[in-house]
Amino acid sequence: MRRRTLLLPVLIPPILMLAACTGGDDGGADDPGLPDDDLVEDIDAGPADDDENATDETPTDGTLAQVRSRGVLNCGINGQVPGFGFVTPEGTYEGFDVEFCQVVAAAVLGDADAVEYIELTAEARLTALQAREIDVLIRNTTWTALRDGAENVSFATTTFYDGQGMMVRTDDGFSSIADMQDTVVCTLSGTTTELNLESAFSAHGVDYEPLTFEDNDTLREAFLTDRCDGWTSDKSQLAAFKAEWPTDEGGPDALVVLDETMSKEPLSPATLDGDVEWFDTVNWAVIATIQAWEFGIDSTNVDEFLAVDPEENPDVARFLGIDDFNPGLGLDADFAVDILQQVGNYQEIYERTVGPDTALGLEPELNNLWTEGGLLYAPPYR
Amino acid sequence: MSEIKVHSSEYRPPPPDRPPSGTRSPGVWVRQNLFNTWYNSLFTLILVPAIGYVVYRAIRFVLVTARWEIVEVNLTNLMVGTFPRSELWRPWAAVAILALVIGLGLGVTARANVEAARIRGIELTTSWQQNARRAAPALLLVAALVTFVRTATPLILLAATVVLAVAGYLVGRRIPPHRRRWMHLAVITGLLGSYVVVTQFDGVSLDRWGGLMLTVFLAIGGIAMAFPVGVLIALGRRSTLPAIRLVSVVYIELIRGMPLIALLFMGWLILPFMLPVGFPTPGRTWRVVIILLLFTAAYVAEIVRGGLQSIPRGQYEAAQALGLPPWKTMRLIILPQALRNVIPAMVGQFISLFKDTSLVLIVGLTDLLAVARRVTQQPEFLGQGLHAETLLFVSFIYWVGSYWMSRESQRLETRLGLGER
Repeated sequence: MRRRTLLLPVLIPPILMLAACTGGDDGGADDPGLPDDDLVEDIDAGPADDDENATDETPTDGTLAQVRSRGVLNCGINGQVPGFGFVTPEGTYEGFDVEFCQVVAAAVLGDADAVEYIELTAEARLTALQAREIDVLIRNTTWTALRDGAENVSFATTTFYDGQGMMVRTDDGFSSIADMQDTVVCTLSGTTTELNLESAFSAHGVDYEPLTFEDNDTLREAFLTDRCDGWTSDKSQLAAFKAEWPTDEGGPDALVVLDETMSKEPLSPATLDGDVEWFDTVNWAVIATIQAWEFGIDSTNVDEFLAVDPEENPDVARFLGIDDFNPGLGLDADFAVDILQQVGNYQEIYERTVGPDTALGLEPELNNLWTEGGLLYAPPYR
Repeated sequence: MSEIKVHSSEYRPPPPDRPPSGTRSPGVWVRQNLFNTWYNSLFTLILVPAIGYVVYRAIRFVLVTARWEIVEVNLTNLMVGTFPRSELWRPWAAVAILALVIGLGLGVTARANVEAARIRGIELTTSWQQNARRAAPALLLVAALVTFVRTATPLILLAATVVLAVAGYLVGRRIPPHRRRWMHLAVITGLLGSYVVVTQFDGVSLDRWGGLMLTVFLAIGGIAMAFPVGVLIALGRRSTLPAIRLVSVVYIELIRGMPLIALLFMGWLILPFMLPVGFPTPGRTWRVVIILLLFTAAYVAEIVRGGLQSIPRGQYEAAQALGLPPWKTMRLIILPQALRNVIPAMVGQFISLFKDTSLVLIVGLTDLLAVARRVTQQPEFLGQGLHAETLLFVSFIYWVGSYWMSRESQRLETRLGLGER
């Protein structure tokens, strides 16, 4: 009996390994767990369209072709940023960045749900892109020269203009950084925030004492117990913590975010250098959400706009692909319709995830149309 | 020689004579153990209030102040991560299959033990206290989960699973000895079946698993595969063939010289580059399992080598004298003794692997700990400092798993008579 019981554990593993090999092949060859009907359509549609536009040279091993044959977009996100990317109790991803993953998937595959979300840490995000583990990185990543240059990534149109701000208690009566002589300012360690803080304060000739923390929750505890006078971080983050400030501490009104912005943080989708076709695809998928806002087209009225007369409104007709205008971006003529029907335009995405009516309650400010005093400006689609 | 001792845990000798108990009242015990010298009295006076206060605060937190709704709302998240909710029947089916085969296996083993003891003239009985103690970790986990479940369906399914396990046990006890061979096949089929039912037949790719399900899969996958590989490498290191010995030594030293995080990163990002062109890249999760397997196998190999070295030469010579060929010597004489000697170290390694699986969050997998960290970022729980609740819950699950492994290894040790000769 003893021998037999010893044999059992020795027997199981080789068989499990066998299963491992077959399982691994399956994982690489196809991706189960997605709506199959849609997938088949997409796979069929992808190459066929390329053939029709045979005038453009479409490299078969480019990211665009890979995504189409895979039938799913691998999108690198952050699963821990309030409003931008998080997991709901129902086990789905939601947030501003997540919706832009869906925008790209809708544009390229015609299915906003054909996304595989890969949660990445700050350290791993660019490496994952370089290793082609993900097709596109939409993970509150600031567009900087160093990343654009040495790190070999290309940044598409900025989706969110953020900036480093300073939050103080209303009772303390600070109205600008210049008032904050001899204060303690709390920040996260190892981020560029620390450096920006130093230059902002020395520019005003104000002395301060920095206090650094590993994560936002301990920082919050320190701020609650009055260990710091100021809390500096990206304004979108500060807004999230302000909105959730406990009512027995005075609620959101007990805090105020100063108007000053200490740094520019344009958060942009990133793709790998050297694949211009894919970059164009991602870039114009993002631009389309802004262009749609300019046109006043959103998910509720896109079907009405599909009926416009091309003679009367040629810009909208071109944008929605009504007259089969194809600028050779590697996208279907009606890609904007897929984006709008399945996700929506920029304004809808913004207001759903981070806008004034959400937990973050962010006023658009810079993230508004250029006609409204913001920075969102779509190049003409013609 | 010591065949009877093999089952000595089930055979309970009459308890040894207790020291006369009447003379030791609680007051005497306290005086003898806590206040026997002036410095011990001092320690007692300082430590008892301190420990008492900590325990009071801990219990107060768990029962009164903690806001457990974050765990209640996210229980499914913690169990399976972002696994598609429409496919939840698959993990449940897998759990049911596992419950059945584990019950079956326990039933067969229980009967085999009874029969083996009866042959030696011992009537083996297991008291319910013994059984309860053995099941305690699992019961604790189930109790914790039941506390947080808010709907009826999971409770019904959980009850059905328990019924299946008990049914499996009862069936297992009825299997006659000559059919037992087939039971091993059934257990293996069940293990494979539970994997197949989740991933195959339009199932859910391994890369979409998460939460406790992923943690358990990584741990079991890693342990089950690292064990045989480690044994092979240990034998390789003691081989008389220089090439095999060299390869084994290089492997062990290379892997043990690298941090697990570095290996995980390499497996995640560099492995795809090293595979031949056209070779399908294994999914992310399988790459992580392979790395965990390679990492643990190196440590297991050294542990097993320690066990092999503890076997005296006489054992080999005796086996040779009996005319056993080398591989039979190894399988029947050396390995059983060597492995038995290293159970504590081996289980320690496995417990460590179980907890090391939480490192996979850096390569984009969302295991139990990763889910716990991110649910605090949901809008309804944002910035309320609920880390304590989620981390406590997750720690409890890790603790139950580790404690269970530790207890089972102790059981195995006594059953195999470790430390008794």
